[in-house]
Amino acid sequence: MRLVTLFFLLIGLVPVSAQSILVSGTVTDQENGEPLIGVNVLVAGSSTGTVTDLNGSYQVQAPTDGTLRFSYTGYTPQDESVNNRNRIDVALQAGTQLDEVVVTALGISREKKALGYAVQELESEEITRAQQSNVVNALQGQVAGVQVTGAGGGPGQAARIIIRGINSLDPGANNQPLFVVDGIPISNETLTVGGDGVNRNVSNRAADLNPQDIESISVLKGGPATALYGLRAANGAVIITTKTGKSGKLTVDLQSSYGTETVNKFPETQKTYTQGFAGEYDPNSFWPTWGSTVEEARQQDPTHPATIFNNFENAYQNGNQWRNTLTISGGSDKATFRTSISRLDHEGVLPFSTYENTSFKLNANYQATDKFSFGGGINYINSGGDRVFADRFNERLVYWAPRVDVTDYIFENGTMKGYRNDGAIGNNPIYGEFSNKWIDDVDRYLGNLKFTYQPFEFLQLNYVVGMDQYTDFRRNFAPAPRGLAEENIFENNGLGFVNETRIRSRQVTSNINAILNFNPGEDFDVQFLVGYDIFDSSYDRVTTNGDELDIFDLYSLNNAANISTSSFTSTYRLLGLYGDLSLAYRSAIYLSITGRNDWSSALPKANRSFFYPSVSLGLVLSELTELPDFFSYAKLRASYAAIGKDTEPYRTNVVYSSAPGFPIDGTTGWTRGNERGAPNLVPEQTATFEVGADLRFVNNRIGLDLTYYNSTSSDQIIPVPVSSATGFTSFILNAGSIENKGIEAILRLRPVATTDFNWDLNLNYTRNRNKVVEIRDGIEEIFLSSSFGYAGSSASISLIEGQPYGNIYGRSYARYTPNGSEDDLFIDENAPLLIGEDGFPVIETDQKVLGNTQPDWFGAITNTFTWKDLSFSFMFDTRQGVQKYNQMGNFFAAFGIAPYTTNRNETIVFDGVLADGTPNTKAVWLGQGVGPDGEDYGAGYYRNRYRGSTENFVEEADWIRLRNVSLRYQLPTSLLESSFIQRAAITLTGNNLWLDTPYSGFDPEGNRGNQNIDDGFGGFTYPGVRSFFVSLNVTF
Amino acid sequence: MKNKLINYTCLLLALLLSAGCEEYLDVNDNPNTAIEAPLDGLLAYGSAQTGLNQFRVGSFTGFFVQYLASPNEGSNSDTYIESDYSGTWGSIYNTLTDLYDLQLFGAERNAYHHIAASKVMTAINLGLLADTWGAVPFSDAFTGENITPAYDSDEAIYNTIFRLLDEAEDDFSNPANEVNLDADSDFIHAGDLDAWDKTIDALRARYLNHLTETGNYDPAAVLNAVNGAYASSGDDAELSRFQVRNPWADVAVDNENLLLGGWLSEQFVDALNGNTFGVVDPRLALVATATDNGDYVGTVNGAGRMGDGTEAVESYLSTDGALSSTNSPLEIITYAELKFIEAEAALRSNQNDQALMAFEAGVRADIEKLFALQGMDGTAAANTYLAEAYPGLTAGSLDLATIFREKYAALFLNPETWVDARRHNYQYQDFSLPENAALSEFIRRVQYPETELIRNTENTPTVTLTDRIFWNR
Repeated sequence: MRLVTLFFLLIGLVPVSAQSILVSGTVTDQENGEPLIGVNVLVAGSSTGTVTDLNGSYQVQAPTDGTLRFSYTGYTPQDESVNNRNRIDVALQAGTQLDEVVVTALGISREKKALGYAVQELESEEITRAQQSNVVNALQGQVAGVQVTGAGGGPGQAARIIIRGINSLDPGANNQPLFVVDGIPISNETLTVGGDGVNRNVSNRAADLNPQDIESISVLKGGPATALYGLRAANGAVIITTKTGKSGKLTVDLQSSYGTETVNKFPETQKTYTQGFAGEYDPNSFWPTWGSTVEEARQQDPTHPATIFNNFENAYQNGNQWRNTLTISGGSDKATFRTSISRLDHEGVLPFSTYENTSFKLNANYQATDKFSFGGGINYINSGGDRVFADRFNERLVYWAPRVDVTDYIFENGTMKGYRNDGAIGNNPIYGEFSNKWIDDVDRYLGNLKFTYQPFEFLQLNYVVGMDQYTDFRRNFAPAPRGLAEENIFENNGLGFVNETRIRSRQVTSNINAILNFNPGEDFDVQFLVGYDIFDSSYDRVTTNGDELDIFDLYSLNNAANISTSSFTSTYRLLGLYGDLSLAYRSAIYLSITGRNDWSSALPKANRSFFYPSVSLGLVLSELTELPDFFSYAKLRASYAAIGKDTEPYRTNVVYSSAPGFPIDGTTGWTRGNERGAPNLVPEQTATFEVGADLRFVNNRIGLDLTYYNSTSSDQIIPVPVSSATGFTSFILNAGSIENKGIEAILRLRPVATTDFNWDLNLNYTRNRNKVVEIRDGIEEIFLSSSFGYAGSSASISLIEGQPYGNIYGRSYARYTPNGSEDDLFIDENAPLLIGEDGFPVIETDQKVLGNTQPDWFGAITNTFTWKDLSFSFMFDTRQGVQKYNQMGNFFAAFGIAPYTTNRNETIVFDGVLADGTPNTKAVWLGQGVGPDGEDYGAGYYRNRYRGSTENFVEEADWIRLRNVSLRYQLPTSLLESSFIQRAAITLTGNNLWLDTPYSGFDPEGNRGNQNIDDGFGGFTYPGVRSFFVSLNVTF
Repeated sequence: MKNKLINYTCLLLALLLSAGCEEYLDVNDNPNTAIEAPLDGLLAYGSAQTGLNQFRVGSFTGFFVQYLASPNEGSNSDTYIESDYSGTWGSIYNTLTDLYDLQLFGAERNAYHHIAASKVMTAINLGLLADTWGAVPFSDAFTGENITPAYDSDEAIYNTIFRLLDEAEDDFSNPANEVNLDADSDFIHAGDLDAWDKTIDALRARYLNHLTETGNYDPAAVLNAVNGAYASSGDDAELSRFQVRNPWADVAVDNENLLLGGWLSEQFVDALNGNTFGVVDPRLALVATATDNGDYVGTVNGAGRMGDGTEAVESYLSTDGALSSTNSPLEIITYAELKFIEAEAALRSNQNDQALMAFEAGVRADIEKLFALQGMDGTAAANTYLAEAYPGLTAGSLDLATIFREKYAALFLNPETWVDARRHNYQYQDFSLPENAALSEFIRRVQYPETELIRNTENTPTVTLTDRIFWNR
């Protein structure tokens, strides 16, 4: 075309209407005024064009009434009418909406349009917006396909991240993605060993990181995106790149934020009835609210308060946190560095829960020669805190009679004040946290060294070696009785104890690769990568328990009468050889083929080596064909990947271990291990297929990214929990396969874009469906976990072939189904209740599906408004179609705390039919003891019947919330010109400001714990919090 | 050094895998455990656990037979609320698993004595299982091959018990035995083969005697077994070495520190303090604490505490009680029990003289044993008690109720009493349903544990708490 134009120009046949002039100008970055090199400048409607030079300048012939289109990767394209101007200077605006460069596997930056799979990247601004100290929580709602769950809002409390659903049926499996920091995988374990650590709100190890140090987070959603990382990234990868220094002047940056928090949602409690049993008031009763009404109680006992306390609200306090980060960075054109020091102090809403984090970090890079550069980073972190036992805390609040103020927890002599017998009896949950401590103290070193050697233009050699080493010293201790008369002992303190657990974990990663680039022809780019990866992990732990303290409050093992010790060491190694061949044709067709072979130490020798390939294709339609005008960009992508997966170490044998409870008088005992290892395990296989489209319209002001994926994991290695009569409690088996399929959609809109005012709207939507496709022959179902409920109403999660993962099973009210048409697994909701001869609903003891722990869909909308130096954003976040077993609700029924139990003195006729099909007409009393009809109703309807039906406590746990609101004001540079301050900004942030949910417990986002099997069990979790932050950022 | 070199080579450079790197990956043998267990280690664990399992079962059946009562009104343990005893079930199966392995490994080394001891202990644990739950898995269990083991009927379990006892008798006398029992590792009989032999007969007598309500009851066989069993309380099968202390002592110590437990039931205390029978039993002061008033008062099952907790108005297991001190024995089967078995079988076969003699010997044996445990001679106390409690008792007037009454006192805390209670249809004097009971009749078994209901659903029988074990018609 260009030749044709030239030809016409040469022969002077230039169209008359199009008087052409020479236009020149410079193109700069709107934000910092830097010239932009290589910007495409195109005369609209023609093929005439040029690119800007090193100074951002261009020259082009254009019709006087024509239009110039400026486009540049990573920036919003801009059209300018020529209007007879000879000089047109343009400032382009950077926007994440465009062809970003994203970080992919192995830290390789790639143009997003070259990828055949979905990647989503977050910038530092988005990561710190909600002021979350845990980087996992910072991802909440921001990435399609990513679900963050946790066990509540405790300081430093672990959060769990699941990408594209549960891929592994192993209840203990780490279904979480691999975390990689500056090229080195780091541990994101949530270790629950040590004392009753499983019950404490311990941290996930990624929470050690200071979000302020993070430049960007790239989320690779598994399958092809992570194929090069191998099996450890089978559940996806979170690639974190930390900030580095920039060449130029020394910069000092101070970031200081203060936050306060309160519980965002409390359960409702009844206020009518008080302490006692069978309707009789008794201030010494164990039963908190089965007594008389408050009025009646006050007639008998003038000391009874006029209204009972809501101790669920009363027991919680305001939390607060303070984080300061000081950063110094700078460098020359050859060497750069960045160092940061940060400190976080966090006190939670549950009394005595705290978390502290101190971090020192240094990153440095040096360009030694044109061909050789190296760099590295080291991060020292000290973290830990006073981890409370939230579950039992809330459980004890259930037992605590609301006649008494729970915050009055201690007598003058330091002993516990209970709720009955004038404080002599009853466990006070606050005193429990005051006296029974569990404290962790982590010293962690993250280090990496990077060498890059580029002997030729087309060849680059990279070597990265890094380490993640930490020690974790965990102490759980409680005082012995003081030996005072009538002393009230907190039940878990026993005779005093000190448990010490010392953990050492070390992971070394070494990764070498070579990247070869060549261009076999003008239209082709070829990149070939080959590398070798070594992962070496070792872990050891010693736990020493000392019981029965001599001096009641000397928390030293030396002070314990009985000492017992256990230890565990483990080694795991993984080698991987990988290759990637990428072909690009005319920046329009991208094809990438990868292969990786892993050798895992955790599998039997014969099966330890396994290979898996991936292939991905990207088609940039807008480059290939002419699209209608409203399209600014269109890309289709498709990929397929297989990933093999190993298991935990030491699962291939039947073993014998020295027995607990020994030695006795110097005699040791031995016992068969509880887990039956399998000598013939084979690797799990996950096959993922993904297609997607990236479409942008109206000058990129509308962007739509759609992905459909389907992944099937087969030969799942599962420790199947079994009857103890087998001689084991679990069998390790290649036991089944699970399928996940889903849709992810990201919609980005910029409804308003002017120089001063911008409005960005970002919406993401995820829908995932999964199904247990197959379970090994001979196994009907695989039990994963259960959560206690009274009178046989425990809820459980089991895998049944053909059913989705996460079904909640339990007891229900029996339905009347005379034709036996009743489905084995599901309740016939249309059938009437079956009423027994006693007039009460009959409990169906066969387990039925009562709900599912996995949401139907979830999504979030973020709006960002920028007006000059002011920016305002808010995010609504929702999870829909999810159920949860409310264990606290079960206890609320059992103890007469739930508001609905105030009908306890009513006589009613239950709506339903008798076994013979006739309608129930029997009137029954709901109270305890002898009713108005003279019948003895024993412990009453709520204890005898209602609490025994799990169905009553599996609740809808959907929610929609205002996750985050942030207002940021950047002081105008004009104000700061004369000062030594370069930049200053103040930010106000609010999290969880509004929540709408039908769930009756605390914020349903919190699970009872942090493992796969805790999904869907409300437990007595640490409550969620609403928080407000004010933060100041000053750069000198 | 060579290994290190290989490792470093692998770590840093190796681009191709070599044999050396295979070695680098050979780290999957669990360094914390062993592939085979020492015989005496299994014996130690199996025998200690067999003892402790008596406590585990006794700590809930104690409420059913009203030895114990909860301080909390309407407590699950008192009131027949369906409860999950997965922990106890798991402990017993864990014990049985190790006993199974002891036989397996013992066979490889001709360790017939270990095999025999293992079989006897297997019989004891199976007895606990069948008498508490009824049908339970056994013939299909422990192999690691079957994920959902089928259940053997309770009757089949009894046949297994008798078979194991027969086999054990042969194994103990097998001349091909090559390994002797390590005395320290045998927590029940310290390697004493004679004692084991007697225990075999003792167990035979106990389980044959359970069959009174079945067509297979044979009092002569019971008496024959009793003959071969214990001659004195010195022969008792019991656990008396503990890592810290006797588990009942733990309960007592905790209770003393106000971590409540070990509260004695009104039924038991009244039976011994004179309220029910008008005679003070000298054993009560040896096991229980007195109230602040100096008397002995029990707590009514299901009713909860009487006092306000500031003073002791009821009796508890005593921290220096004969059965709840640091080194008190945890009884499995005793001479006293055998004497009551003998008395019952003799009475049922109309050998009244033998019955009376055995009855008195049983009472004496237990009283004297408890006194001896407290460092006293109980001969006189036993004589006085028998004279006061049973003036004019003759061979002709001795009845089953009296035998059950004394056996109830003598087997304090032993889970065996729940078998007697059910066989006796709970016809103890003044025995009544707990307050706030969830059932309208006495409890006859416990529910299968949740681990079985959920993990072995197909095989686990559907039962209610009033369904009876096969020997209880």
